[in-house]
Amino acid sequence: MLSLWRIIKFSFEDIARNFSLSAMTVLILVLMLLSVNTLVAVRLLTDEAIANIKDQIDVSVYFHPEATAEELAAAKNYVESFPEVRDLIFLSREQTLEKFRAAYEDNEKVMSSLGELGDNPLGATLIIKTREPSDYEKIITALSVPEYEGIIESKTFGDTQTTIDKVHTITGQVERFTLFLTSLFAVIAFVIVFNTVRVAIYTQRIEISIKKLVGASNWFVRGPYLMESLIFSILSVGITLVAIYFSTRLLDPFVAAMFAKPHLLTDYLLSHILELAGLQLAAVLLLTAATSTLAMRRYLRV
Amino acid sequence: MVEGDGNLFSMIRLQGVSKQYAENSVGLSNIHLAIEAGEFVSVVGQSGTGKTTLVKLLIAEEQPTSGRIEVGGWDISRLPRRDVPVLRRQIGVIFQDFKLLPKKTVAENIAFALEVAGETRARIRRVIPQVLDIVGIGEKHERYPHQLSGGEQQRVAIARALVHRPKILVADEPTGNLDAINTHEIIEILKKINSFGTTVLLVTHNREIVNHLAKRVITLLNGAVVADEVKGKYRLS
Ligand SMILES: Nc1ncnc2c1ncn2[C@@H]1O[C@H](COP(=O)(O)OP(=O)(O)O)[C@@H](O)[C@H]1O
Ligand SMILES: [Mg+2]
Repeated sequence: MLSLWRIIKFSFEDIARNFSLSAMTVLILVLMLLSVNTLVAVRLLTDEAIANIKDQIDVSVYFHPEATAEELAAAKNYVESFPEVRDLIFLSREQTLEKFRAAYEDNEKVMSSLGELGDNPLGATLIIKTREPSDYEKIITALSVPEYEGIIESKTFGDTQTTIDKVHTITGQVERFTLFLTSLFAVIAFVIVFNTVRVAIYTQRIEISIKKLVGASNWFVRGPYLMESLIFSILSVGITLVAIYFSTRLLDPFVAAMFAKPHLLTDYLLSHILELAGLQLAAVLLLTAATSTLAMRRYLRV
Repeated sequence: MVEGDGNLFSMIRLQGVSKQYAENSVGLSNIHLAIEAGEFVSVVGQSGTGKTTLVKLLIAEEQPTSGRIEVGGWDISRLPRRDVPVLRRQIGVIFQDFKLLPKKTVAENIAFALEVAGETRARIRRVIPQVLDIVGIGEKHERYPHQLSGGEQQRVAIARALVHRPKILVADEPTGNLDAINTHEIIEILKKINSFGTTVLLVTHNREIVNHLAKRVITLLNGAVVADEVKGKYRLS
């Protein structure tokens, strides 16, 4: 206990003595952590975006114009009987036409050819929403039986899959870039921590030789450098979390414009604070402690 | 016992010890020595004959290329690193260049040696005046090294070497930087420490000291022992 206290004292003395190097070490660790947290935020936003898109997916079943009311009702009841179905909208032939008109209002070509046909060429439509995106396949398969094949003109999935793929492509690129940035910062952090310990050992070479001469336990010679790693790690994680908190507060209004959640980032940060702090502290500590051990092995022969 | 040169457990025993630094750099070659508890031994020899090498081997700063070194019956020839601190607390060492921390006071310099050995604050407070008293510098405990004469600085170094009550005190040319009066005072302190029962190994160049001491003298030449006399004189020119 006494020894631990003295080692903490020694390491603070050393940090003060090499203050600019120590500050630089903390700065680069903070930069590294900021880019890690950017990665976390990108992941979070990606998940949110995809959840949103999935929510908009529906299957539209277009019936033949000739399908009778009984046939339509039977098909509707059949689909309704599936527990996976969350929502079901039935559009009559007239409603379908209206919707079609609304969608192609500005497209003269389509409108004029629709006019030429005179009669309503469209059949009724069934719009199905399921609880899970994976359930769509099941519904589609269930409708692909001879009984219903006859009255169904076509089934569409929408092109949400393409949208999801697009989101993944974009966020994938952002993630790769951030990952690259993180590794870059990690490498720089390694070099800087290594150098900080090297300089500390150099400036303290007389103390170290005296420590050894008078029979200091190895823990007293090496302990302060490991303690410095711990101090740097705690400081950098602390500073990062504070910076992240203010950034999320700043970014939340912009995120809220995209998703209907006013404090998406801040809420996530606050609800995962222990996890985020713990994991990052462990990772940074591992990096700095391993680096200073390496530097000590190289420059500090006990 | 077969050994003819001393008791079963000599305080220091070297058997066929050699230290080769590099291809053509011999530190010591095939040294046999036994120093008993309570002895005061001077080691003399020209520059580069292996005196400091002997000191480094004794405090396990270097390992012998061959041979066996024992301190108090403990074989330290291949001492693992974690055991080095244990040895260093049993052998106090002083050097020509005092090795004091310039930004610490006399008392802090001595406290430092105790702190890094994990001693309690109460014990540190008790030991500092004791060792300062032995070297007679107690009233200057709040001075910084640069406020002391060379002789006083060496006394502080001796006080620091005594904090763990070592069985052996090794002094590698402790008076090399001092004038005649200070040299005399340091030697008197070493004799005093020896009189308490501590084994003293004094490496020196100084003819007057050796002749005045009239104690055992070991003479080294090119890494070998060329003379070992119970009441020796400084024989080299
Ligand atoms: N670290 C070292 N590396 C190589 N040679 C050394 C080293 N230390 C001492 N020597 C050599 O060993 C010999 C004895 O040196 P040393 O023990 O310092 O002598 P002394 O203390 O008697 O002046 C010298 O020739 C010296 O050059
Ligand atoms: Mg020497």
